[in-house]
Amino acid sequence: MIEVRGLGVSFPGSSSPVLRDVDLDVAPGEQVLVLAGSGAGKSTLLRVLAGIVPQVVDAQVTGHVLVAGLDATTTPTADLATKVGTLTQDPADQLCLPTVLDEVAFALENRGVDPALIGPAVERTLAAVGAAHLAHRRTAELSGGEGQRIALAAALVADPRVLLLDEPTALLDPAAARAVAAAVRAAAGADRSTVMVEHRLDELGRLPARVLVLGPDGRVRSDGATQEVLHDDSRTLAQLGTWLPLSAELSAAGVGALGQLPVAPGSPSRSGPRVLRARGLTVRRGSRTVLDGVDLDVHAGRVTAVVGLNGSGKSTLLLALAGLLTAAGTVSGGSVGLVFQHPEHQFLARTVRDEITWGPRRARATDVDDRVAGALDAYRLTGLEDRDPFRLSGGQQRRLSLAAMAVCGHDVLLADEPTFGQDRRTSAASADSLRRLADEGRGVVLVTHDLRLVGEVADDVLVLRGGQVLAHGPVDAVLADDGLLARAGLPLPPVLAAWRTTDHRLRDVLRALHAAADRATSVPA
Amino acid sequence: MNRRRISLSELVLLAVLAVVSGFVYWALVQAWIALQIAMGPFGDLAQHVLIGGWMVAAPLALYIVRRPGVGIVVELAAALVEVVFLASPVGPMLLVVGLVQGAGAELAFTLTRYRRYDWGVFVASGALAGLASTALGIVRFGWLTQDWFVWRLGLQVASGILLCGVAAKLIGDALARTGVLDNTPLGRARRQATPNPVPVA
Amino acid sequence: MNRLGRALPHDSLLHRRNPTVKLAVFFVVSVLLLVPVDPWTPLALLVVAVPAVLAAGRIPWQTLGAAALLFGPFACSLLAVNAVTRDGPVVAEVLGLEVTGTGVAIGAALALRTVLVGILAVAFSLTTDGARLMTSLHQHARLGARPTFAVLAGYRVLEDLPERWMTIRQAQSVRDPRRRAGTLPRDPGSLTRAAFTLLVVALRQGERMAIAMETRGLGSGPRTVHRPVALDRRDAVFAAVVLGVCALVVLASWHVGVLRTWDTV
Repeated sequence: MIEVRGLGVSFPGSSSPVLRDVDLDVAPGEQVLVLAGSGAGKSTLLRVLAGIVPQVVDAQVTGHVLVAGLDATTTPTADLATKVGTLTQDPADQLCLPTVLDEVAFALENRGVDPALIGPAVERTLAAVGAAHLAHRRTAELSGGEGQRIALAAALVADPRVLLLDEPTALLDPAAARAVAAAVRAAAGADRSTVMVEHRLDELGRLPARVLVLGPDGRVRSDGATQEVLHDDSRTLAQLGTWLPLSAELSAAGVGALGQLPVAPGSPSRSGPRVLRARGLTVRRGSRTVLDGVDLDVHAGRVTAVVGLNGSGKSTLLLALAGLLTAAGTVSGGSVGLVFQHPEHQFLARTVRDEITWGPRRARATDVDDRVAGALDAYRLTGLEDRDPFRLSGGQQRRLSLAAMAVCGHDVLLADEPTFGQDRRTSAASADSLRRLADEGRGVVLVTHDLRLVGEVADDVLVLRGGQVLAHGPVDAVLADDGLLARAGLPLPPVLAAWRTTDHRLRDVLRALHAAADRATSVPA
Repeated sequence: MNRRRISLSELVLLAVLAVVSGFVYWALVQAWIALQIAMGPFGDLAQHVLIGGWMVAAPLALYIVRRPGVGIVVELAAALVEVVFLASPVGPMLLVVGLVQGAGAELAFTLTRYRRYDWGVFVASGALAGLASTALGIVRFGWLTQDWFVWRLGLQVASGILLCGVAAKLIGDALARTGVLDNTPLGRARRQATPNPVPVA
Repeated sequence: MNRLGRALPHDSLLHRRNPTVKLAVFFVVSVLLLVPVDPWTPLALLVVAVPAVLAAGRIPWQTLGAAALLFGPFACSLLAVNAVTRDGPVVAEVLGLEVTGTGVAIGAALALRTVLVGILAVAFSLTTDGARLMTSLHQHARLGARPTFAVLAGYRVLEDLPERWMTIRQAQSVRDPRRRAGTLPRDPGSLTRAAFTLLVVALRQGERMAIAMETRGLGSGPRTVHRPVALDRRDAVFAAVVLGVCALVVLASWHVGVLRTWDTV
């Protein structure tokens, strides 16, 4: 179904190719998972298979690419679309029409299908992805998870022979990710080939039978049965910075179970004076109460994680704490900085250096140059000083937005989903930065879906549901409470389930796992 | 010259330019109403100060897509968006306004056969857009038989040069720096001009 | 107040008319209105049009009135500026400016024209779904498939813009260590930076949407329309009635002798 020989891709303006000498054969009905670190060309591979690179996006492409018998590098994208369906990360990029019915019918209309047959086909497909109840909604009003299911339906409605999935759950909360993953599993028909890039392997449920691993140089590192590749090459994979299933992570760390890992107890975080006090925060939007009487104290040196499903009021809480929207209740205390979910929304300058300089200069700080030099170094942005912030990679943008806020020296730092859509390595770097800021004596509040991140950096957890506080307490107590997590709608990641069988503090266990994997990967593979 | 069919990406880019400029115009109008009330009987003149901003999409689209007609197309699309989706009180007459202003802005590029994109062409484009807009005002509101005609003409042309012509080049260059235009004729032209991947400060 | 291309959720005579026909009729009426520059002709049309659109569109008068307030200031300033800048017999002097009879007449004419067109525009947008209009332009006005769907993709971008605009302004304002809590900056520099980011984000979204539409086969050949927009004889009757009434009013005002054009003013 797919036959790739000696594929090489390089983008103009970039010094090295993103893909080199890639060979890939996918049989009808076969499913392949592609794993690679950030910037290693996994999305590019899918975009070549979909006929987007080099036809819509400029690139130099060498080698042969046959998809369902058509040359993907020369067949017009729209013609190739009769055989290939694509699903990408963000519903906002894929839902192009105002209503769900029009959106799903679109691919059939484009093929000139008899209008009488379109209605039933749309209904059937919506039912197949578990979205029959969304048929009469407007696309602009869908949640992320609903939007992804509609985008999947729109890709599946014309019954493509090949389905390309580019991190379809990356931007969803755990519950929505599981629902979309289930719809994707159901979509893999007997004669439909699937190539999937995904790093949230825990939410995927059952993994595809075959894995292709791309190295940082853009070459195929390994290609084979999933279980074999994940365990035999677990160290290589850990080195690439990709997320791994727990069992592979343990084997990279050289142990069979989490309990066998040597754990050194770390020192508990020091709690300093209170730097922010919020009482009775309430936010209404129209007739809906988005945030309902939330109290929160933030102390210097401590990280508070705010968790809950989409729509539970987490981001609204941060906006209210930062004084960015009108809220009833009181907020008092020190100065507050907020790092938004999408770094791009926050950029103000045309170079990385100006971006970091912006805040200190507005504050008329006296030591601007020192602070900026320190931040460039601490957030590993040296060498990128003259780049346009929009030209950075996702991980670099994330570091820049943290750096630009950190140099302002706020007493309290708020961060909205600081690891969203990032690979393991970038997430770990963001987590470390936040912990460091707290250890320097600031109060940190972070909003996240990622309970593992919570375990790694947080001291306290605030659980929200429907705008109300469901629980607020020390991280180990909250994450040990099954009933509470179930009520909040938060599934427990396998690594946290495994932690409960040990006698150690959660953060110590996760640190030990990290350190073991790092030790393993520092040995040349 | 550019004989290949205009691509879907380019069409959507034009639509997005039209939509965002429509949205920003709409925000401008809010400012403009306040200005108009503040200026009393001279309020009618206030619109001329901002008129260039209404037309900036045309030279910007030409700068990015570099093919005949897109200046007019993007202004027509912007007018359509305002009539259909933003409920502009000017009504479908806005399509004529878009057509005339787009044609004015495009003329400078047509005269240089879509080959030159330097400051001179952008200044000329803005000035011609201002002239075209004034000509339309003569037909719609009888400006020629009013006092202050020279003021209107001067303000429209000056605003056209600054907020339409010069602004288009500034916005286009800033956008190209961010990388969102890498797969457009403007992005390709800039790559050819500086084959070195290191971005210029 | 802005419904971004969505009609009022009820049904009415105006809701049911073909959107392309409505747009075309509205266009012809707008062009026709360029001719008279006396106040009486647009006033007579306004007297006919307001009850007509209220009834035919089942539009609440409060909604129409609130919308009219938006273009009221423009109409007033048209009246004011024309009153003091046209040659003719001076009827009064205000703040050292000479108010002429001709100026007041032309000013009133242009102001009433603005109000009339504004009322029709509001009625049009409150009874017309923008997306259905695009489909209809594709079906009935030979607008190509790719331009049609490019505009519809633009509409999706537009639907997200108000929220994005707010988020970007919040995200950028918090970058200023000296900001005042509870307010967003309104200076031209801040607004320009927010607008630029909005444009970058929207262009990127647009590029990806174009790719999404191509990967669903747009442009691969002849296409069908699964929910076509109706066009029938009632639309022809609608067009004939509206244009006929307008022509009659203009004829009547000519007959009575109040009609003025730029040549006879």
